[in-house]
Amino acid sequence: MKTEQVKKINYVYLLCYIFVPLAVAGLSLFIGYTFFPDGGHGAAISMFVIPLLAVLWWIFAGRNIYRLGKKRMVKQLDEMGIDRRQIFYSDGCVVSMDMEQGKIGLLFFWSPFQVQVAPASRVTKAWTDDGAGGAGFMRGTSRVSFLFVIDGIKIRVNTFISNQRWKMNDEKVLEGISKADRWVMLLDQVRGQGAGA
Amino acid sequence: MGLFDKLLAKFQDDWCKECRRPMEKVRKQLFALPGVSVGHYTAHKDPGFYRKTLYIVEKKADIPPGMYACGAIQYRCPECTRRVTVLDPFLPVRNEEKHEGTVVFRDGELDDLLWN
Repeated sequence: MKTEQVKKINYVYLLCYIFVPLAVAGLSLFIGYTFFPDGGHGAAISMFVIPLLAVLWWIFAGRNIYRLGKKRMVKQLDEMGIDRRQIFYSDGCVVSMDMEQGKIGLLFFWSPFQVQVAPASRVTKAWTDDGAGGAGFMRGTSRVSFLFVIDGIKIRVNTFISNQRWKMNDEKVLEGISKADRWVMLLDQVRGQGAGA
Repeated sequence: MGLFDKLLAKFQDDWCKECRRPMEKVRKQLFALPGVSVGHYTAHKDPGFYRKTLYIVEKKADIPPGMYACGAIQYRCPECTRRVTVLDPFLPVRNEEKHEGTVVFRDGELDDLLWN
């Protein structure tokens, strides 16, 4: 549990995530090429199975580690006695707010082992980005998010994301905007409480 | 009474099902649904829920972002004097509204809420 400066990325984890499977796959290919030039089971494992596992790791491991991190975050917040009724799960981070104590709990996709708890007074700005673009009948959005700045770091939390552009009055977009506006309001409230505390 | 009137009476909340004619609007009120926030809406048919939860607000701007509101209209049939209350829960989002479908009470279940 951390209360020092908020960090979005754990670089050790990020580098290990990318390079450890790469190194293992490279080593495996080398072993296969050197020791099993005539084929066989050893060649199949070292030149196909292990590199395939590395690819599967890159595709699936991140989201599963993050998912387990989210479960762990809930437990840790409970252990700390932090009210987590206001919690928002997004694709890149989880934000939890304790309105009474004026604290914000954060968990990031690229730092999934560390629940970071910071006083809300360190949030300097919060706003909604509806992602509106285009003109006329093409006007729409593919992403709605709320953003806040804590310890000088800008954090974006998506409330709606799509690979298509949706009209601004579409129900999904409206719900995303509503969630974002609500969280900005809550952040402003808890920020005020934190500053007063 | 033609087929069209029967259809209107069946599908239009502001048509009297007995007399099959349009009813007149006698009361309109905006309420807040303070316990219901965005992403947590579930439809309720129980009038008790609305009696416990709804409270009167003057305008949409009084409803905080991300919270649901509920429009209520009471209609009265000029012929049989039957009253029908139509609730319209919706999420106000800036200048737009996301409607969740109307709930109709035909037996005066919410008269006390609307007229007190």
